[in-house]
Amino acid sequence: MAPSTYRGNLTMLFFQSLISGLLTGGVYALAGIGMSLVFGVMNVSNFAHGDLMMLGMYMAYFAFTLLHIDPYLSLVLIMPVAFMFGYFLEKVFINRVIHHPHQNQILLTIGLGLIMSNSTLLAFTSDPRILTTSYSSSSFNIFNDISVSIPLLLSFLITCGITAILYLFLARSRTGMALRATSQNREAAQLMGINVSRMSAIAFGLGTALAATAGALIAPTYYIHPLAGHSFLLKAFTICVLGGLGSVVGATVGGLIIGVVESMSSTYISTDWKDVVVFALFLAVLLFRPQGLFGKKGGQ
Amino acid sequence: MIKQSIISVVLLIIAIALPLVTGQNPYITGILISVLMMATLASAWNIVGGYAGQFSFGHAAYFGSGAYTTMIMISVFNSNPLLGMVLGIVVACLIALVTGSIVFRLRGHYFALASIAVAEIVRLTVLNLEFTGGAQGILLTDVTFFSLDLNSKNPFYYGMLLTLALTLAITAWFHKSKTGYYLQAIREDQDAAASLGINIAFYKNKSLLISAALTSIVGSIYAVYIRFIDTHAVLDLSLSIEIILTAIIGGVGTLWGPLLGAVLLVPLAEMLRSNILGDALFRLGVVSESSAIGMFLKDGLAHAHVLVYGIITVLCILYLPKGILGFFRRGK
Repeated sequence: MAPSTYRGNLTMLFFQSLISGLLTGGVYALAGIGMSLVFGVMNVSNFAHGDLMMLGMYMAYFAFTLLHIDPYLSLVLIMPVAFMFGYFLEKVFINRVIHHPHQNQILLTIGLGLIMSNSTLLAFTSDPRILTTSYSSSSFNIFNDISVSIPLLLSFLITCGITAILYLFLARSRTGMALRATSQNREAAQLMGINVSRMSAIAFGLGTALAATAGALIAPTYYIHPLAGHSFLLKAFTICVLGGLGSVVGATVGGLIIGVVESMSSTYISTDWKDVVVFALFLAVLLFRPQGLFGKKGGQ
Repeated sequence: MIKQSIISVVLLIIAIALPLVTGQNPYITGILISVLMMATLASAWNIVGGYAGQFSFGHAAYFGSGAYTTMIMISVFNSNPLLGMVLGIVVACLIALVTGSIVFRLRGHYFALASIAVAEIVRLTVLNLEFTGGAQGILLTDVTFFSLDLNSKNPFYYGMLLTLALTLAITAWFHKSKTGYYLQAIREDQDAAASLGINIAFYKNKSLLISAALTSIVGSIYAVYIRFIDTHAVLDLSLSIEIILTAIIGGVGTLWGPLLGAVLLVPLAEMLRSNILGDALFRLGVVSESSAIGMFLKDGLAHAHVLVYGIITVLCILYLPKGILGFFRRGK
């Protein structure tokens, strides 16, 4: 092999993993934004976030197998249902521990997560399911040899759309401004006449809707399994801490970074070690920049 | 204080005598060992989680350190299990030091998150390395420990009991030692504690090291008892969570709470696993064994103990946030 083609192949390999990393990272970002929003507005670490994603995966699966709705189209159904579910969870459970110590909030969400994952396990058994659409494994090539998976690209584009709408909502709408005010200073927001308890429920509903959407978006490319939430939970946390807990912009960038780091370490180290690299990065962030890339408050 | 001592002595005598009563039934002894094991793990976790207020979600890493180090020392170097146990403590303490030095400068959610990340790194490393047996785990065919009969369950019962007694003794010492008071001060108000000249990071690390060492000892005994380990059994996040739930449900930050949690939860899990409830319904003729509901009870309920843990946790946090023991304390 001539040196020039060899170098060409190396460049190809690099761009290939960069692109697949960015595409997957977009969906991770969506999950991260949901968690960050909840953290910012409510100051609660939601340990059920991964399980909410898993529920989104199952919703997309059953919408496809039972109702024959395309997984991307089913988002129109999944998002409002998930929002209402999240709103309900906040009103019935989370709301009651909002002034409790962090530990109680974490344990409550762990308990809720265990109930979700193990009820799913009881109802649908532990057999992994696969959602196969007609375009599940199709892809096209750009720049000669870099292949782009169509389902991943679609997920990425939908993610971009949802993120843009969310930014507009948070920046322009009255509810969005009230959400940001609650996030900045809960007491002051309450004094200004904002119904902070309603804002919490909306934030948790949005967080749940985003988690379920992320789950539905990766359903066509992942195994659907009742315990799939675990690994996504850890990824969502890594993204939030990397971007700065509570920062929506940070979570978006964090998601893309984690996607690329994961795909690069699969290419250059090995798929077995990619999660180790991600968690090591997480610890490095805690060590050197605990407030994250875009965090406002110091971690100290 | 005197009342406390009398309770401890009575409980200890009952615990020592218990195998004489149940000695003929290895099934019951097995459950008792599980109770002692979970009680020790939850009590050891309580030292850092309850007294220092630092919720570690990665205690499986310390349990796994003990289990894996012991198994590797026995199967590769043919060493005495005791040496493996000591080395296991060293490994667990090293992991604890790394975790502590990274996150004890921070507060709030960070310790919980970082402890998970460290434990996951340990789990994935063990899973991907060759000498740890990878996904297959390590199976031990033969093991000797001085002249003890390791085919009987009694040595393990007393080993676990000894570790539990040690853990509870250390916890009791926390109730009246400087270290204990410092830790509780840190838990209640970190800034106030720091302003009084308490070296926060030092005492948090100290409690984590003690807790990790005790957890590692239990891991070593477990490994030799079961003679088979893999990452799923000894390093999984679900083990860490089970330890926390046991402590929380019993009563966190109390001497007897974690023990109470284990006494209640382990037999409950065992009942669900062995499907006593389902069998009772079949025998009473409420549900036919071959019907759809019967099949569901048989297959489903065996895996339902985690679901029940989840429900109990949610109820506990909402209605008894200080655990069962904490609830009764308040009532007095």
